[in-house]
Amino acid sequence: MAEHQNKVVRREILESIRRNLAASKPLDAIRSEHKHPSIPRVTESSAPAGLTLVEQFCESLNAVGGHCEVVTDITGATRVVEQIIELLQARRIAVSDSQLVARVIEKMQSDVELHTSASTAALFECDLGITGAQWAVAETGTLVLESERERHRLVSLVPPVHVAVLQAHSLRQTLGEILKALGENHVLNLNRTVTFITGPSRTSDIELTPAIGVHGPGELYVIIIEHSTNE
Amino acid sequence: MNHLTAETFDENARQALLDPQLRGALRHLAKVFSERRKTAIHTVPDWEALREQARAIKDETLAHLDQYLEAFADNAAHAGAQIHWARDAREACNIVAELIRERNAKHIVKSKSMATEEIHLNQMLEAAGWSPVETDLGEWIIQLAHETPSHIVAPAIHKSKRQIAELFVDKLGIEPTDDVSMLTGAARRVLRQRFAEAEVGISGVNFGVAETGTILILENEGNIRLTTSLPRVHIAVMGIEKIIPRLVDLDVFLKVLPRSGTGQRLTAYQSLITGTKKRADEEGPEEVHIILMDNGRSSMLASPVTRQSLACIRCGACLNACPVYQQVGGHAYGSVYPGPIGAVITPQLVGLSKTAQLPFASSLCGACREVCPVKIDIPELLLHLRSEVVTAGRKGTAEAPAKRKRIEGLLFRGYALAWSRRWMYEWSGKVLRVLQLPMVQNGRIGKVGNFLSRLVPPLGAWTAGRDARPLAPRSFREQWFAQYSRKP
Amino acid sequence: MRVSLFITCLVDQIWPTIGTSMVEVLRRAGCEVEFDARQTCCGQPAFNSGYRSEARMMARNLISIFEDSKAEAIVSPSGSCTAMVHHFHELFPDDEQWRKRSEAVATRTFEFGSFLVNVLGIDEVGASFRGRVTWHDACHALRDLHVHAEPRRLLRSVRNLEFVELANADSCCGFGGTFSVKYPEISVAILDNKIEAIEKAGVRAVVSGDASCLMQIGGRLTRRQSKVKYMHLAELLAAQEP
Repeated sequence: MAEHQNKVVRREILESIRRNLAASKPLDAIRSEHKHPSIPRVTESSAPAGLTLVEQFCESLNAVGGHCEVVTDITGATRVVEQIIELLQARRIAVSDSQLVARVIEKMQSDVELHTSASTAALFECDLGITGAQWAVAETGTLVLESERERHRLVSLVPPVHVAVLQAHSLRQTLGEILKALGENHVLNLNRTVTFITGPSRTSDIELTPAIGVHGPGELYVIIIEHSTNE
Repeated sequence: MNHLTAETFDENARQALLDPQLRGALRHLAKVFSERRKTAIHTVPDWEALREQARAIKDETLAHLDQYLEAFADNAAHAGAQIHWARDAREACNIVAELIRERNAKHIVKSKSMATEEIHLNQMLEAAGWSPVETDLGEWIIQLAHETPSHIVAPAIHKSKRQIAELFVDKLGIEPTDDVSMLTGAARRVLRQRFAEAEVGISGVNFGVAETGTILILENEGNIRLTTSLPRVHIAVMGIEKIIPRLVDLDVFLKVLPRSGTGQRLTAYQSLITGTKKRADEEGPEEVHIILMDNGRSSMLASPVTRQSLACIRCGACLNACPVYQQVGGHAYGSVYPGPIGAVITPQLVGLSKTAQLPFASSLCGACREVCPVKIDIPELLLHLRSEVVTAGRKGTAEAPAKRKRIEGLLFRGYALAWSRRWMYEWSGKVLRVLQLPMVQNGRIGKVGNFLSRLVPPLGAWTAGRDARPLAPRSFREQWFAQYSRKP
Repeated sequence: MRVSLFITCLVDQIWPTIGTSMVEVLRRAGCEVEFDARQTCCGQPAFNSGYRSEARMMARNLISIFEDSKAEAIVSPSGSCTAMVHHFHELFPDDEQWRKRSEAVATRTFEFGSFLVNVLGIDEVGASFRGRVTWHDACHALRDLHVHAEPRRLLRSVRNLEFVELANADSCCGFGGTFSVKYPEISVAILDNKIEAIEKAGVRAVVSGDASCLMQIGGRLTRRQSKVKYMHLAELLAAQEP
């Protein structure tokens, strides 16, 4: 659309908005005669007593059909990845550019084809994709991945299984905390895409019967490394 | 099969009531969604406070929509998105067509977007020779069936598993199956091909964040992530009312929308997309286009009653709670948006002349208002639109109202003139008592015959299915003055 | 307490025993009851059908009449008519005076069951009725006036009565004013969900606070030759079966 025409339409739409809002003013005044006074402050839900963030996360993730494994260190994570590969008989594995993932895969014993920086075509042939996650939300079992910090979009989406590795210190209680952090210091402006992932792909479009694994991965494994490392 | 219009809502509804498969599907929908929603809202400590807050954010935004919209557009553009403005459906469609044409693109995938349904985008693209593929399972099913969505969130909910299986056997050549995961698997296989070759991805937008120029799109299937990540061009169609002020405001909406829409705490995926990638080797489309569409929305700002329509976050909860929708389903409304919210925004978007039945297709029970996460007072809106219909009819600004409507107008005028006077009110009671005598048997009025039915249509309509209670031999006031005194 | 009756045209002309029962119960509760016979109709049918100027005429009429009353409360046997009075102010967007006058009347206007429990503070009125009884929540009473606990408390206090919660008590009966005759097939389809639940509940009577719902429900019960009785809350509370 011609740039000039676009500007004209923009102006018209904005003017239409202003005009209509102005027309509403006298009616708004009458309506406020009956207005409810204050906006109630929403209380944040308190953490379930006694559960750590990791325990909460695992519970939330399990509730939506994801698998959660907690390990103490990188070696533990490597073991779990090997087990998953064995279980699924996976042959072609795609990995993201996460340094944490690189360290987990480094000592992996499984006999597989590893694809780093896989092309789209290659990704469609992969059995499993491994990424990290920059944050996770304990309350909902959600992973948060930032495009600026990790090339995650397709590795976490195209292969039928997604394995995510993260460190326990990346966990937060609520999604609200993540949004606040993303909104601060123009973090979001640096991030072209932030993806929230909560469990495997699903649908209820046929007779409201749940079906898992529609377009995104049908299996999600999250490995939480408790021991803090440098990443 | 469908493509029914709102003008024939009464006939559409009658037909729907005769469809046992549809009624079974709707009963199932009502039961399941109601249970899931109830469970989900108990997972937050203060659901009512969340609704208040969600509505407050929408009110604030709409009261300054021009400012927030400009901030959104400028911030998104700053991050690399190309912003297009469209006054109406035609302009929005033309922008999409032009973008596709300029890039010589052929393979188009689409994710579910009510805004694109509203502008009949697929029809336009197909007429121009392209074949956009819907990728949301429910939307793809109805695309294969050449139908329109019957629900805002679950487009194919009117179809049984069997019907879908038959459709897949017919169009995809799969083996007949009763298994939902096999049917879903078939869809996945076919659509994966389309994703792999897609050049253009078209999506809607759930929320546009003014502060950062971010669009948020949420889903369960993963097709939106694929649609917005794989093709080199992403086109997002967005109603101008989808704006919210700050990123942190998303928290409230991500709490109320999934719970209200599908009874989930959170949907499987949310994508927060801000502009385009900065470096060529990054993932994602090379171009992100956002079309900001008015199409009748700015006019709704003109009064507080109608402005609340724009708070809608398209969760579909009102459909699930509506006793009318539960009986007749979405297609009967003959409009892109069905159910309670459809009954109020359709007349505002396309005008009352062809949609005048919709505001009356409600018993005003208020269940919709009760479940709306942003507290839209739909009954208030319905009543407002009803008075608009009457006013337009009287002013002669509408198409000439049917004879029935004119007679109704005269009757109500007569009623008001007569019944605002005590003696006429009492006298009319006496007259009716005499007139009803031939109809009363065993203390009630049964099904009236054809002649009476034509003479007094409401009586025929009532007694077709129910007995009518006649006027009592002595009114309350007669008994009061006979038995009770005004003095103690 | 001095109470002025807002009897409603429906009760006045079609179901006067609701009115006489209401008077009986209010007197048992110690109220002095008066009735201003100038009243006719609140205008709800006109308002609901989009005829606002006609509704305005009826509203002005009703407001003027009740303004004259020195009663502390105006009590009505209808949730929908009470709600209409509470919405009167919407009829006067251009007239602040009339809006104020509407509000003054509305603050004194109560639905019958709510009045007993919330204003008089009573739930036992000397009633007795034998058998299983269930309650239908009329939509305006429930959602506009938030009446829910009150009728249940009143019913549970009736001697010999076994209260049964209806599976879909808060679902619409399908009346909706002119909706019932403009879309009769949908109205009856919605109604049948209610009737099925009532029959499944195995009750002697279904009770509600609105005569309009009772006409709808009762009309179908008798058409289906059901033995289930249908009564207004006032009628049931006035009952004193031995």
